[in-house]
Amino acid sequence: MILKDRLKNMAARSPWLYRINAGSCNGCDVELATTALIPRYDVERLGCRYCGSPKHADIVLITGPLTTMVRDKVIRVYDEIPHPKVTVAVGICPISGGVFRDSHSVRGTLDEVIPVDINVPGCPPRPQAILEGVAKAMEIWKTRI
Amino acid sequence: MSETLSYIFHLLIFPGGLFALLFGLLLKGIDRKVFARLQRRIGPPLLQPLFDVIKLGRKETLIPATAHKGMFRFAPVLGFMGAMVAAMFIPVPGVWDGAPGLGDMLMLLYLLPIPAVALILAGSSSSSPFGALGASREMILMFAYEIPLLVVLLTVALRVGYATGGVEFSLARVVEYQLAHGSFLLDPVMLPAFAAYLLFIPGTMGSVPFDLAEAETEILEGPLLEYSGPSLAMFQLMFALKMVVVTGLGVVLFFPGTLGTNPVVNLAWFCCKATGLMLVAVTLLRASTGRLRTDQTFRFYLKYPTGLAYAGLGLTWILG
Repeated sequence: MILKDRLKNMAARSPWLYRINAGSCNGCDVELATTALIPRYDVERLGCRYCGSPKHADIVLITGPLTTMVRDKVIRVYDEIPHPKVTVAVGICPISGGVFRDSHSVRGTLDEVIPVDINVPGCPPRPQAILEGVAKAMEIWKTRI
Repeated sequence: MSETLSYIFHLLIFPGGLFALLFGLLLKGIDRKVFARLQRRIGPPLLQPLFDVIKLGRKETLIPATAHKGMFRFAPVLGFMGAMVAAMFIPVPGVWDGAPGLGDMLMLLYLLPIPAVALILAGSSSSSPFGALGASREMILMFAYEIPLLVVLLTVALRVGYATGGVEFSLARVVEYQLAHGSFLLDPVMLPAFAAYLLFIPGTMGSVPFDLAEAETEILEGPLLEYSGPSLAMFQLMFALKMVVVTGLGVVLFFPGTLGTNPVVNLAWFCCKATGLMLVAVTLLRASTGRLRTDQTFRFYLKYPTGLAYAGLGLTWILG
């Protein structure tokens, strides 16, 4: 049992991040792409790593309001991510629509379609907030792996 | 009977198997840490690749509906087994003399491309256009980097066998020769061959600037795109083993010096030298260059490493 627990703890130290842009204005995506990996806020020291394929992902970061054009595609890519996974909605757009709230192409929020575990509010969120969101997602991830 | 047991030990525990797996994962961790530090970041802990592999073992495996299921599952196993058997043939100077037999250099020449072939099979069987693209790129790259390897091995074999007028393809004899006559690294005649081998390492490992077969931003990780869970873990282990084999071979071919007779000290010294070779050939290059295109890579390999390798062969032929 000790070995099993140790293996589980070791597995919990390596969540891989995957970013999905669900119709975002790219502000949050720029934050994810540029600030999370730069020397000041390095996310790799937590053991995380950006991966290029949804099949390699553990923690999925979704940005943007779920526009009608991209809705089915986001659901399809989300289904490609193997269990167990943790969903982080980055920014206020996925949860409330943000500045696009009453737009013609935004019909409903992300958590009506996909179970969201963590939301990092902000427009765009500060890098420190994004890292805290990832760290909190890692705690949830630890219970699921 | 005891010979069979010793083969099994050398395959599964040392120097193949367990030792190669753990050392390979540590090498990869050192690579990631030094790469991060070169970019003024903190970087992951040294054992991070081990955590990655354990985590991947606990995820579920998803196979695309249109993929060829048998080949899809078989490709990582093939690559892993090929790399593990290749690791068995690397002699550790001062600790173990190498697999008995006279042709282990040629065996390695056949075993080293097996991981690349596994990548090609993986890409082709995954029924994904990105996989097919990555597989074709890996095939092109294989043509490019296999020639310098062959010529470098021939150069070393010619040099070691010169006194007897022939070629010597046994790695154990190569180590013996260098322990008696001084390592080839300090020999100006072998320097072009060493430079060609240094350029061969990033090509075969698929590290920047020659990582176009698994380019993350262009073809979404290419052949590995559709892999998840334990199959992907096996690919990561295959890469780790291949790193050990390629750097270990470099150490054995060019600078297999020992530090006294204590096997533990010699093992540590071998590991340090392999790490140093990796830091120069993989990490430093990774931190300071960008990716080359397919035609640029192919042209580069046909000009410089191949040219250097042939120059080394010519020098060795003429001067001995």
